Amino acid sequence: MTATKSFTISTAEAYTLIVVLAFLLAGCSKPVFSPNRLATAAFLQSHEAPSIEEISISANNLTNQLFGTPDAPLWPESLDQVVDFDGVKRSAGPVGRAHDRVERGLYRKHCVQCHGITGDGAGPAAILLAPYARDFRRGTFKFKSTPIGSKPTKADLIHTIEHGIAGTSMPAFAPLRNRDEFAKDIEAVTEYVIYLSIRGEVERRLIRSATGDESQLTIQDALKEAAIVVDTWKQADQKVQAVPSIPTLDRDSLAASVARGKELFNSDKTACFKCHGTEGRGDGISQDYDEWTKDWTIRAGIDPASKSEWKVMKKFGALKPVVNRSRNLHLGAIRGGHSVETITKRIVLGIDGTPMPSAAIGEASPNSLKSEELADLVRFVASIANVKQTEEMTQGTSVAHHAGGRDES
Amino acid sequence: MKVDQENRIVYRWSLALAGLTFPLIWLGGLVTTHDAGMAVPDWPGTYGYNLFLYPLSTWLFGPFDLLVEHGHRLLASVVGLMAIILCFIAWRCESRGWVQRLCWLLLLAVISQGLLGGIRVLLDERVVALIHGVGGPLVFSLACWIVMVNSRDWKVANSNLNVSGLRWITRALFLISICQLVLGAHLRHALPTWQPTLFVSFVHTHLLLALMITLCIFLSAILVFFRPYRAHRELRLPAMLLVGIVIAQVALGLGTWITNYALPWPELNAFFANYTIAGRGFWESMIINGHQATGSLLIVFSLWLLCRIERRCVASRFANISIQNEVTEVIAGNRTNPVLAGPGVS
Repeated sequence: MTATKSFTISTAEAYTLIVVLAFLLAGCSKPVFSPNRLATAAFLQSHEAPSIEEISISANNLTNQLFGTPDAPLWPESLDQVVDFDGVKRSAGPVGRAHDRVERGLYRKHCVQCHGITGDGAGPAAILLAPYARDFRRGTFKFKSTPIGSKPTKADLIHTIEHGIAGTSMPAFAPLRNRDEFAKDIEAVTEYVIYLSIRGEVERRLIRSATGDESQLTIQDALKEAAIVVDTWKQADQKVQAVPSIPTLDRDSLAASVARGKELFNSDKTACFKCHGTEGRGDGISQDYDEWTKDWTIRAGIDPASKSEWKVMKKFGALKPVVNRSRNLHLGAIRGGHSVETITKRIVLGIDGTPMPSAAIGEASPNSLKSEELADLVRFVASIANVKQTEEMTQGTSVAHHAGGRDES
Repeated sequence: MKVDQENRIVYRWSLALAGLTFPLIWLGGLVTTHDAGMAVPDWPGTYGYNLFLYPLSTWLFGPFDLLVEHGHRLLASVVGLMAIILCFIAWRCESRGWVQRLCWLLLLAVISQGLLGGIRVLLDERVVALIHGVGGPLVFSLACWIVMVNSRDWKVANSNLNVSGLRWITRALFLISICQLVLGAHLRHALPTWQPTLFVSFVHTHLLLALMITLCIFLSAILVFFRPYRAHRELRLPAMLLVGIVIAQVALGLGTWITNYALPWPELNAFFANYTIAGRGFWESMIINGHQATGSLLIVFSLWLLCRIERRCVASRFANISIQNEVTEVIAGNRTNPVLAGPGVS
């Protein structure tokens, strides 16, 4: 007869095990700036090229040499100081206060769950968001006061962070202003977003040059690219484009203007109806994608509508391509801002990175929108989006499709 | 009679302890919601001060995250002190060895939680915060379990249930609730280095378990009104409260999702499309915290129902055997005056 041996664990042993496990697990969460493999594969137009890993890691290492790590950011001395580096340092690293009682890690506190450590828009919650969180590394921002292709001003970014974007997962961080100790957090986070964007764009440019050139990347290449990117941010304030103000009208004039605007909306001159539909309900025929998606799909020879094609890029961090749906203007949620002024901005400046183009404004060319036409178009959009234009509109008229209105400008 | 009164001291003290553990969990939740875990960089002291000597004005009128974190530490210290006293009271007044051991286990758990909190601060690691976050509701459950085994119901319950369908459902409910707690902690303390696919898998499993918990609760709430359980009217209160809690919890879960990641289907109507999340807003924080705290309540109420059933099932190791024997003896005519609520019943 053999004695049965049973495995038992005492309370003390279990307790020790838990503590040891806690220490072991503690070491596995060090955040790093991850290499941009997706851009590398897209520039190489291949998901199998052996050089993907080599190029992406080389570009990442060089960028890290210039800009440091998520816990210890750097700013190259030779570059112009386009960011307030105190804000960057305050936003970087883990969340908490040191003995100087200054709060740090603001980016990880407020943004990282969606935008990710690298600012790649691939934070833990990214898949569940619609639209996806912005990938800052392309250097493209949607809602700004500068033309398409230009960088936003700090004020543009602060506005988005402070007021959020309705109908999306982007919160309004305005409540932070209510407490003195958090009042300047939005500005600090803005600096870090610009820092991440510059860092990511430099890395992308390095990858692009490495994929078109056999020679090894050097730190001089990185500095050269960084100087170019920093210069574009420096110019942002000078590129701010003033948009015409839309005069308020009396009730009858407004009705006529809205009617003309509707005609323009459905004309080939503006072609708004193609994406937004004839009534502005976002039911046009367009099935386009945003630039972030096109970068690694259409431009890399991949059909974003074909799962068998795009899924080969999943291993590089690609998220499922989603059609950039045109806004249903009747819902009243104008993401760039719910006022006559911001609607004008969106029509004149477009929305960068999306299929929404900027309108050419001018009195001479027949293809350009004249000032009066722009005003008509803005009034029509404002009327269906329930944006307050005149006193008459708030009282409910036959002009506006909806009674009431609001102005958040 | 004297022993019975002493036994009530254990009950009352453990009830006070459990009552204080719930606000501690709420405060701990606020620490997570406001990412205030590192608002105080040192431990066990606070900015070089002894924990209990930190200036009141700086604590109460300083930064909000410091207010929450230091408050959490102070309240945890009080709970720790109460757990020590509970062990002493149990040692002096409690005749059941296993209940005494339960009190010691609670003390060990409270100390472990304190240490985990300290390790979280000293290492500045979110993984440890996750473990600490799971530990909190478990300590709360343990404290409530001590209350339950000292309650009057535990003493007077009649173990004459021969069927165990509801018992297994409640056991499953309790275990799934614990799993749900672990998953919820993973979602609350998601590490920034996690891949989106991992997070999504946690979300989907959390939703699946929520469905299972809801089914278990509604099934239990129906079963307690039917034979053979309907004779045990004491089962109805925890079952009905669980129904209320699970409804609130589902609503709070939905609210938590909305306040974190916006409404699903934003194009559904104008209200959805115009909703903007208020980052760090007061009500948003309360909803998120409420979901976490109600989760702890759900575990405790599952345990309450489980305790009441286990005590009544003949097959359970917690069956009220001595009373049952006495009742059997009465039925057999050997005894005429059974003591149904005697102290020290094991």
